[in-house]
Amino acid sequence: MNLRYMTRELYYQKRRTLTSILGLSIGIALLIILNSLSLAYRQAAHVPLQEIGADITVQRSGDVPKDLTGAVFPCSAVTIRKEEVEKIQKLPGVRGIGTGLLLWVFDPNRAWIVLGIEKENSIGPSLLRSSITEGRFLEDGKPEALVEQAYARQFGIKLNDTISVADKKFPVVGYVDASRAAKIAIANVYLPLKEAEELAASSKELQSVSPYAPGDVNLLFIKADQEKITGLASEMKGILGNKAAVATPDSFLKLLGSLFALSDKFTLAASLIAIIVAVLIAFKTMAGNIAERAREIGVLKAVGWTNRNVVSQLMSESVIQCFLAGILGLLIALVASFGLSFMKVNIPIPWEMSPTPHFLPGGGDQIFKTLQLPVHVPWTLASFAILLSIIIGGMTGGLLGRHISKIKPSEVLRHE
Amino acid sequence: MSKSMILSGTDLSKKYGNLEVVKGVSLAVDAGEFVCLVGKSGCGKTTLLSLLSGLEKPSHGKVNLDGREITASSEDELALFRRENVGFIFQSFNLIPTLSAWENVALPLFPLKMTSEERRRRATELLGKMELGHRSEHLPSALSGGEKQRVAIARALVNNPKIIFADEPIGNLDSTTGDAIMGILNRLHTEEGVAILMVTHEDELAKTANRLIRMKDGEIMS
Repeated sequence: MNLRYMTRELYYQKRRTLTSILGLSIGIALLIILNSLSLAYRQAAHVPLQEIGADITVQRSGDVPKDLTGAVFPCSAVTIRKEEVEKIQKLPGVRGIGTGLLLWVFDPNRAWIVLGIEKENSIGPSLLRSSITEGRFLEDGKPEALVEQAYARQFGIKLNDTISVADKKFPVVGYVDASRAAKIAIANVYLPLKEAEELAASSKELQSVSPYAPGDVNLLFIKADQEKITGLASEMKGILGNKAAVATPDSFLKLLGSLFALSDKFTLAASLIAIIVAVLIAFKTMAGNIAERAREIGVLKAVGWTNRNVVSQLMSESVIQCFLAGILGLLIALVASFGLSFMKVNIPIPWEMSPTPHFLPGGGDQIFKTLQLPVHVPWTLASFAILLSIIIGGMTGGLLGRHISKIKPSEVLRHE
Repeated sequence: MSKSMILSGTDLSKKYGNLEVVKGVSLAVDAGEFVCLVGKSGCGKTTLLSLLSGLEKPSHGKVNLDGREITASSEDELALFRRENVGFIFQSFNLIPTLSAWENVALPLFPLKMTSEERRRRATELLGKMELGHRSEHLPSALSGGEKQRVAIARALVNNPKIIFADEPIGNLDSTTGDAIMGILNRLHTEEGVAILMVTHEDELAKTANRLIRMKDGEIMS
């Protein structure tokens, strides 16, 4: 391979060089953009659960309460027994568990959505700590409440007011901005888990639908090894039975409904098509270029270049062109990704995961988590694309070079 | 093969399908000899040149070049042999359009392990001999026909060949430029002792050669 000859050829044959580079760069850019988009949807699907510090949430659906008075379980979140929680905790891949107790409390003048939370557990709704807009977070051992800001405004609940929930009094110590908080398991009133347990245990209506004992919960927030999430989801269903509702990033991905989100197979197929397009473009343009150079190849062979000399020269030209195409494709993809990163996606939060009674104002509205699509090009994908470009260059140059190097110099030189 | 003989072809034939282009030709060229192969277009002289130079293999017969029988050699062996022993001059110059004059001259040296400076030195030295030292950085598109052919002659000489095969070397040039090129070829043969086998259809040009071989319908007439 002669570097001088190669650079001269690429520099002076600008049309050929640019056609090859542009053609292949489009294929490479497509490959990167498709995969970046797919990755972005996958990352977006993690966001609703990540916001609550979990990778998996677990509930168990039950029957509709016969009588909506006092404290009841939402039908989508009935008792998960303490023993079941312990079994789940022991599953390989589970790194930590947060628990919660979600209740509907129907008092004579008001309906509350109450969430009992573990104050110190970093997994689960204790992350609300960062969404306090006024007042303070719950403190240990105190029967106190946080109220959702919009709800407090609507019903004129002020800081330090005392609210009565299922005949129990709680001083309001802080406001929570639900719009800043995770959209999963949002409530009007947040109580210490122990207080919520007492409300549940003392409610006859609740016990009649789903027997409950202190220590039991109805919401699990699970932190798990990423590669084991899918397997854990099915194991948890095995422990909790058919009525278990296990939410994972994959289930959110399905809710997104985008082609990119639908399946790995789509992305794989689209990537393969992009690669095939890239290879075909590279092959076609370079085949045309090399065919134009048949006479030149004949001259090279006449003056003593061996087939190997010819192949390595053409291959190096092809590799350099494809490498440049890879770089250009990457740049195009980076610009496109930047543009796409302004795109917003609405991730629908299933009603079961934030069950506001439908008969309450706004209860039937679909809750969405809206976020900018986190499109970016990871360095692994960028490196893969560049490596692929070089491989395409080597393959194309090698194959075409081998073919054209078999040309007999006398054949091309005789037609003078 | 005599001691001074550089090239010999024995009973050479070349067939393309049913068409026999060269028919049982035998000829020899001595070292330093200037031989002219003359004949009308289509008589088979370019094919014979290709057979004798190893660009093409004969259907029948043997070629002996500088003491080596080349007809049995592989394609790559032939290429290496040409690189070390043979120079070519073509009617259409066949310069690489993207390379400068000196790079075109150095083209046979590109696959060799030598520094770029050495290649350049050898190429510019030859261009100087061709009175083209001032044009060494120019692309072929910036050269006249005569200059292009002088670059091609320099390229044919860069590997110090024992024999040069020239196929209608002045066919694309005007008479004045053609005369100059013929002058260079004559000088190469007389001063440098390089054997030349030149193909032409012009009898006039053959006068400068040591020996004239006429071809007709694939056979040698005289």
